[in-house]
Amino acid sequence: MRSRPKYPIQVLAAGFLVLVFLSLSLFWARWVCKSILVDNMPMDYRTVNITASELFPAEIESDPNVLRHSVVHAHIIHPEAPEALGIANYLSEKALERYHSRIYSFDHENKEAVFVYFDGRTGQINCRWADFEKMPDGTLIRKKVLFYVGPEGVSEIPDKKLGRFNPVVIDFGSTPLILYDIKLRRFFAINFKDRIVTKGPQLSEDDPHWPVDIGILSKNPGVLDIYWSSPDIKTSQNHKDKALYSIAGNILTRERNSDYDSDQYVLVLDESGRIDLLDRETLEFAGPAGRLPAPETFFPADKRVTPDDLLAYRVLPMALKEDHKYRGLIAATVSREGTALALSVFDKKGACFESEDTRAKNSIGNRNVPSSSAVFFGTPWSPAITIGKFLLENLHPPILSMASYFTAGSIEAASGHRAMFLLPNSFIAMKGRDARDNIAVRFMYALLLMSPSIVLAILLAICLGKDATIVGIPRKTRRWWLLGTIAFGLAGYITYKLTRPKITLVTCANCGKPRRTDMDKCHRCGSKWDVPELTPPAWRVLNG
Amino acid sequence: MLTLIRREIRDNIVYFIAAVVFSAILIALLTAATYNLDWISDPAVYVGLSIPMLVILVLGFSAMGVTQMYIDRNRKISAFLSALPVTRSWILAARIVAGLLAILTVLVPLTIAVIVMGRLIAPPIPIFAGYIADILTTVFLMVFACYCLGLLTGWTANKIAPTFGALGLNIVLVSLVFVKGFGPDIKFLLVLVIVACLIRTWHKFMSTSL
Repeated sequence: MRSRPKYPIQVLAAGFLVLVFLSLSLFWARWVCKSILVDNMPMDYRTVNITASELFPAEIESDPNVLRHSVVHAHIIHPEAPEALGIANYLSEKALERYHSRIYSFDHENKEAVFVYFDGRTGQINCRWADFEKMPDGTLIRKKVLFYVGPEGVSEIPDKKLGRFNPVVIDFGSTPLILYDIKLRRFFAINFKDRIVTKGPQLSEDDPHWPVDIGILSKNPGVLDIYWSSPDIKTSQNHKDKALYSIAGNILTRERNSDYDSDQYVLVLDESGRIDLLDRETLEFAGPAGRLPAPETFFPADKRVTPDDLLAYRVLPMALKEDHKYRGLIAATVSREGTALALSVFDKKGACFESEDTRAKNSIGNRNVPSSSAVFFGTPWSPAITIGKFLLENLHPPILSMASYFTAGSIEAASGHRAMFLLPNSFIAMKGRDARDNIAVRFMYALLLMSPSIVLAILLAICLGKDATIVGIPRKTRRWWLLGTIAFGLAGYITYKLTRPKITLVTCANCGKPRRTDMDKCHRCGSKWDVPELTPPAWRVLNG
Repeated sequence: MLTLIRREIRDNIVYFIAAVVFSAILIALLTAATYNLDWISDPAVYVGLSIPMLVILVLGFSAMGVTQMYIDRNRKISAFLSALPVTRSWILAARIVAGLLAILTVLVPLTIAVIVMGRLIAPPIPIFAGYIADILTTVFLMVFACYCLGLLTGWTANKIAPTFGALGLNIVLVSLVFVKGFGPDIKFLLVLVIVACLIRTWHKFMSTSL
């Protein structure tokens, strides 16, 4: 067969369409499997409680009237929540006052909208609010105030002299507003009321601090809940200040509770996963505060996690409402796959004194099976669904599974939940992040996990090879098709079926096998058409 | 070319009338939503409202593509026209232009309405304009991609394949919005899907014997 003109372009176009539709269909099938698996997770697989007595003054926790010590609690709400999908992610990321939002404050209740936002075109923060001006007769009139903030100051008109902020990391909750400029490498504090911009010292290029989040440190807060509850104490007669104690108990404290805020420090999360304290006044680092804990994954991964390695994290600084003095922090993280949670408690010097992972009970009743393993095999029907998920992963093109293995650690965890082509949450990719074995052993194990996919690709390639031989596709083209099918598996085979030349075959008079009618020679035996010689008959029909 | 486009519009006038009616309904819904609902606080309401609309829009234009190709294939219209001084490429190009015009009949008035509403009620923050641009571009590309899928699946003599094939593929393709949202990824993917569909359609259309 002679390839048709632009045949490779047609094949590529068809192949791309097949890949998109197959990947999308498999994505939803896997998503259903994952959702069933995590829905089946009992609450104790997702919950961690720690008694964090060390964070409280000893005189409180050791009080004989303590009925229940302070408790730190974290649980996974729903790891496969629709929030992980792209549409919800787009809307929530751009929503007002969210992590990636450029609108820092917005009050739409007011008739004159009050807002603070970062204008990417000018590189300045625009702020509008309603102020009251006192008139000579003593009456107050409402006045719309609009001003612009740059690194060099504040102005009522857009002014280039104010300079430009570059991509910024901002603490929405703080007053004054604290932000970090990634390019200028320094912190700024903006006091909107007095219209003052305070600059922190510039961080040198070799400074190890690369902040990615400030203030209320959280990522995908809908996936994870964290709180601490103060000790439950009977009304004590031993202390004068009874208000210090929770009488009723069970006061659940989360972020944004200003009663329990530290007035001296702001938390800063570094890209390495370390958490530092930033002095609100001097805008200088005041020492380490802790780090994001690493959840225990199905295949044990690196113990030092970065924010990108985690589906969700939340950090809760602790201070008492009486003195607002920083006492330590609680950090909870959810693994990339959303099946494990780690909770750590750090003291005010940044030393971890308590850490716990989600675990399931084994048959004896001990809590020693990591939830990341238990979710796949520990609940009713989960082994069957896990096998289904594994098989679906193996219908994915082998070359993309292999690419998932090699890029396993470099894809941001939340985006992995909406990945169609590379599968960073597949078993193969999980193996790629395994920190235990050496590279060769790990690779062999990954090949073993991929074996159904490889076997399927080979079987399909054999079928394709036979069909291509019958159809009479040239050897070189056939070789490309075989390679394509081994690389792309089912997608390659479907593409072949869609683009295969539609021809009529007849039986070859020489070899007896089907041969093409549009070729001069039989593509199986090379014989030419057996054309009978048109010799005129010896007889003639004559008119009587 | 203009004559061919006019002929395509005349042949598919039902779809153009439906596009005008649908556009009017969408604008009416948008106006009602703008003045009756608190549009900032709960974007989920708008997503909830817009999804069935998007599905109707997508299926409608996919049906238009299927109809154009199916009728041509079975009534041999392009075979007849090719006897005149018109090439098959022109016929296909006129068909695609007519499809694009129908899509724009829905989306251009809607875009204007959204911009006007935005100017009237949204705060003067440029970021909001970015959201609107993102969402409308994605909707346009999605609808056009589904129309192209309709063209691709419609070129057959079989009745079941274009009906169920296009329906199934459209449902799968629309779900891409749920997976990827409205960001640059989906736009890039949809452009590639459109190009691939048009290449396949062009090849099928050109290589079919008269």
